[in-house]
Parts: sequence; C-alpha cells; structure tokens
Amino acid sequence: MIASKESKFHYIFEGYPRKAGRLALRFVLALSLVAAITFVFFRLIHVNATTVGFFYLVGILVIATVGGFPEASVSSVVAMLCFNFFFLPPLGTFTIADPQNWVALFAFLATALTASQLSARLKSQTKDALDRQREMERLYALSRAILLTDNTQPAAKQIAHQIARAFEYASIALYDRHTSEVYVAGPAALPEMDAVRPKLTEVAIQSRVLRESEGILIAPIRLGGEPIGSLAIGHPSLSDAALHSLLSLVAVGLEKARAQEEVNRAQVARESEELKSTLLDAIAHEFKTPLTSVKAVTTDLLSNPDEPLSPQQRGLVAIADEGADRLARLVTEAVQLARIEGGKFQLNRGVHFPSSLLSAALRQAKSLTDGRDIQLQVADDLPLVFVDAGLVGMVIAHLIDNAAKYSTPGSPILIGAGVSESSVIVHVTDQGPGITADEQSRIFGKFYRGTQGQHLKGTGMGLAIAREIIRAHGEDIWVRSSPGKGSEFCFSLPIASEDGAE
Amino acid sequence: MSAGRILVVDDDPQIRRAMRATLTARGYQVSDTRTGEEALDKVRSETYDLVLLDMNMPGVGGIETCRLIRSSSDIAIIMLTVNNTDKAKVEALDAGADDYVTKPYSTPELLARIRANLRRLPQAPDDAGLRQLTLQGVELDLPSRHVNVRGRTSRLTAREFDLLSYFLARPNRTIAHRELLQAIWGPDYGDELEYLRVFVNRLRKKIEPDPSKPRFLVTDAAAGYRFHFPH
Repeated sequence: MIASKESKFHYIFEGYPRKAGRLALRFVLALSLVAAITFVFFRLIHVNATTVGFFYLVGILVIATVGGFPEASVSSVVAMLCFNFFFLPPLGTFTIADPQNWVALFAFLATALTASQLSARLKSQTKDALDRQREMERLYALSRAILLTDNTQPAAKQIAHQIARAFEYASIALYDRHTSEVYVAGPAALPEMDAVRPKLTEVAIQSRVLRESEGILIAPIRLGGEPIGSLAIGHPSLSDAALHSLLSLVAVGLEKARAQEEVNRAQVARESEELKSTLLDAIAHEFKTPLTSVKAVTTDLLSNPDEPLSPQQRGLVAIADEGADRLARLVTEAVQLARIEGGKFQLNRGVHFPSSLLSAALRQAKSLTDGRDIQLQVADDLPLVFVDAGLVGMVIAHLIDNAAKYSTPGSPILIGAGVSESSVIVHVTDQGPGITADEQSRIFGKFYRGTQGQHLKGTGMGLAIAREIIRAHGEDIWVRSSPGKGSEFCFSLPIASEDGAE
Repeated sequence: MSAGRILVVDDDPQIRRAMRATLTARGYQVSDTRTGEEALDKVRSETYDLVLLDMNMPGVGGIETCRLIRSSSDIAIIMLTVNNTDKAKVEALDAGADDYVTKPYSTPELLARIRANLRRLPQAPDDAGLRQLTLQGVELDLPSRHVNVRGRTSRLTAREFDLLSYFLARPNRTIAHRELLQAIWGPDYGDELEYLRVFVNRLRKKIEPDPSKPRFLVTDAAAGYRFHFPH
C-alpha cells in the first residue's frame, strides 16, 4: 500500500506501460540478489545456517531500501523458502527437523517483512516530501509570474501560459468567465482540450471538480464564492492542497487583472474627459477673445456720453453690437452643450428657496424683459429645493427669454412655482402664437428653431441645454401649448430633504 | 487731473488697444503689458491704482500673477476671463482679486466696476473713536489694518477691511447678501454670492481663532452673515 497521503489526483495511467516494465525489472533484480546469495553460500562459501540467514536479511534490507515494498516482500518469502530448502536440515526438502529452526525461520521472515516495510515507507515519505517541495516551488514561481503579468496580452492567456510552464504541463485550458474566453496553453495542446471547452463553462458555474476519462481534470476557480472561471489540466499530478493553492492563485491573478483593467479604463475616460474640457475651454477662449474687442468698442461707442453718435451711426453700431452678442452666446451655448452632453458635468448642488432662484433669473433676463408685463406667482411656503442654482437659473432665464422673444411685446409673461407630490414645479407661460403638437416633440432637440422664430436671434440650443440640465437633476421638462393660445413650459425640481441634502 | 492709474494686462493686442482707447477717453492714465511677468515688474517699479488682469495668459498666467501682486500690494485687481463659471470666479477671488468681469464685457459695465473698485469706504467704522479693538484674543489695529490672532499677525486688504468695518459697525445683526454686496462692491452688484463666500472665508482665516468653526463671523442660513460681538 502506497502512503495514504498520496494524492487522489495521482493518475496511474501516467506512463503506465513504462512503469509496469520497470516494476518487472525490479522484481527480476531482487530475485537475482536472493539467487546470488543462495548460490554463493550453497556452492562457494560454506558457513553455518545462522550466518546465511543474516546475509539473506541484509539482502532483503538492500532490496527494500533500493526498491520498494512489493519486491522486498516477495523476496522475503522466496529467501525464506531458499533458506529452508538449501540450508536448514534436512537439506533439499521444505521440511524442518529441528523445531528451533521453525522459530528461526519465522523470526527471519518477520524481520525481513518489517524491515522492508519500514524502509519502503521511509522512501515513500521522502518522495512525498520532495513532491510537496517541488509543488511549493512551482506555486511560488507561478505566484511571481502572475504578479508580473502586464497588459500586452489578456491576463488569462498569460496566466495559462505561466501555469503550463511552472508545472511543466503538456496541456492546460483556462476559462475566464469575465471575458468568456478559453485560453489553451502548453507545449502539446492536446486535442482533448478542444473537447473540454464546453465543459469549462459548466464547471465554472456549477462549481464542482470534474474528472474526464481522458485524464483531464477540470476544476472551478472561485473568488469569495463568486465563480470567475475554470481550469482544465491534462494528466495533473498535484496534491489536493496544491491544486487548491493553484486555483486560488489563478483566482487572485484574474481578479487583479480585472481590477487593473477597470482602473485603466477609468483613467482613459478621465483623461479623455479632461482633454475634451481643455479643448472646449480653448475653443471658447479663441472665439471670445476677438469678440471681446468688438464688444468693447461697440458698447463704448453706444454708451459714451461725451461723443454721442448720430442716430444713423448708432443704428449701424447697434447692428454690430447685437451680432457680437449673438456670436458670443452661440459660442457659450455650443461649448456648454458639448460639455453637458459628455454626461460628466458636475452639479454644484445646494439648498435654495425656489423664489430666490426665480428672482435671480429675472434679474439675469432683465435686459430682455425690459418693458414687459411680468407676473410672478409663487405659492406660499414652497419647500426648499436641492439644485445647482447657477444651472437652474440659466434654465429659468432661458425660458423667460424665449417667452419674451416668441410673444408680442404687449402681452404678459407669467412666471410661477408650485408644488406637486415629490417636486417643485416651475412654469413660464406666454401668450405667444403657441406650438403645434408636431413641433412640441421636437423643440427640445438640438438646433431646432420654431417655425415662427426664423427671424429671431437664437441658437436653437437653449431648450436642449435646459433639458440636459433638468435631467441631470433627475427631473423633467415639458411643454403644454396649442396654436393661438400661448405656451406653458414647466419643469420639476427635487425637494431638499429635512437634513439639508437630497 | 487723472481719474486713476490703470495697468492693463492682456496677451491680446486688440483688447489692449480697445481698453487703452476707452479708458484714456474717460480720463484714466493707462499703461499696458502683455504678460504676467512684465506686469509684476511694472507693479514693482511704478504706482498704479488698479490692475485689469486677464486670467488666461501664456507664461505665469493670470491667477499666479494675481497671487504674486497681492502678496506684496493692496492695489485693486479686477480679473477678466471668458470663463463664466462659479469655479473660475472663486479661483480668481481666492487668488486675491477684488472683482471679476466676464469677457466679452460691455464697456459701461467695465467702467462701473473700475469706479466701484477705485472708490473706498471710509477707513474706519462708524464708531469713529475706535482705533484699537480687542475681542477674545483677537486684536484689530484699525488704522494700519493689522490683525493679531494668538501671536499671528496678518494685514487685511482694503476690500477685506471694508467688509470687516461694515460688520463691526452693525454688530449682532444679520446682514443680507445683497446689502453687503451693494455696500462693499457698489450698487451694480447683488447676485455675486461667490464674492461674499470668498471674502468672508478670507476674513475668517485672518480673524477667527479657528476659521473652520467661526466664532465672530457667522453664517445665517440662506439669509446672510452676522458679526457676533461678545458683550
């Protein structure tokens, strides 16, 4: 019986014919030694039976030490028979005359068997220890190799390659559940490995070890109970403990690679976001710098009380001034939209009174609403809202601006705020020409200009930006209108919770 | 007689030309430079009342130039930039600027800002007899604008001093943001809450024993600020 600690994974068909031949040779050699001792003492040197018995014992010990238990035990029995036949009287028979010799014979047999068994066990333990040491060295080499995986190739592929190399396996297959890829590695990628491909997935999910008849072992790779892949090894000679360590190492290796990949991806995203932001800033700067000098000059000419312009000059300069304004707004809004559309603009949220948001926006839109009849209707005791005041102010100002632009100068503009179940609703109502149902679905799109407003100043981006801003708050913006009856734009804002945040 | 000496710092020659023409016509003495480095040299060698400083310049850059000028001078600084975000405004004010104008600006607006920044409030609080003030370990020397907190002496800028004086003249009363802005910066102001945030923080750093837990300059929720004057 070979030491019980020997692995279950110790596959006997590993080089089976070669092993059987070697065992036969060991038997032949062992029996030859017994025969040689018999021959020497029977024919050449004549000594007493006790001495011959000791020599047989020494021979058995040699066989047990060099060989193994099977040949040692067989040799013991053969040696006992030879001893009896050739050296114990009556010679030439298997009968024993002197009863004392029976005792000697059994003592001899017992000694021979015990010694051979002890020797064989020691040998097998030494071999085990060496095997464990080898496994440890291989696992260590593998752990180092896994630490050094780089991102030139898929990590699972590199790990598969490293396992095959560290353990000198002819063929292995590694299934990475994250990428659903199977990597086959090893100098002799066995055809069986192609056959196990479908089973790799199954093993990974079911989390149980599978032994194939072709000598392939498939084991699941888990990390914290989560199946992350599986490993198939052709003809493994690993102890259970080493196999578990190997699987844990691979799990850690795959996880490390996945985490690294995530970090890299986030880094790339951040860098491209930064690049985009820098680019947008540069564009805004390049466009606005020449506009600044134009605007400085036109506003100076229009406002200088010391050298007033003639009405005709004033009209012409006003055209240039308005053109510069429009261009500046176009650049601002295009850059804003590009920034907001990236989806990564940060809301600078705070707790605000809806009424102060409205009055700040009204001041912002002051130049456009000069002389207009603005009616403010804010419900009493509105709850506080948790919003980015700057951006929401921009939305309100834009809606007021639109209302002023698309309605006749004499008509009133109604601005109000009320509360619904879960949000504060702000609305801006005008008595303009209204918007058809068809147009209502399109006005929040980019660059859409109302059919009525072709002659008006604007970029067609304002409502698209407004929608992005409101949606970033997790709320919505909509319009209610019918042709000839004016339009009402509404949007909702999140209510601040008691403790001052959302 | 000159209305004031102004240094224009901008890398764009057309903007410098436009500003020079506008400001000279309004009676200001104008000199201009195209980089932060040159501006620093000029501020050291000549006397100005106000600097118009572009934020986005090659080389040292506007923010750093502002910080360097502020480290050695109380001169009024107005920063100009195309960036209209709160972040940029706070950055400029934090660097020591007194005011902030977005490009493209309108000339009347710029002129109003220049006038507001050249105008100074009276150098002492309404309680004219007060020259030296000591509150719970904080010593204020009003004429020299020096503050001493636990052995650490710092000097208030003119704008910080104006703000503090306004508070000192109205102790234990909540002052609305708008009122503060119009009193300290001028009638054209009122919505620039970030100005107050930055300047109140700057004051706290100079006068509060623990600026993160203000004892004197307290925030009153959404309403404004209050100077807590211990009796």
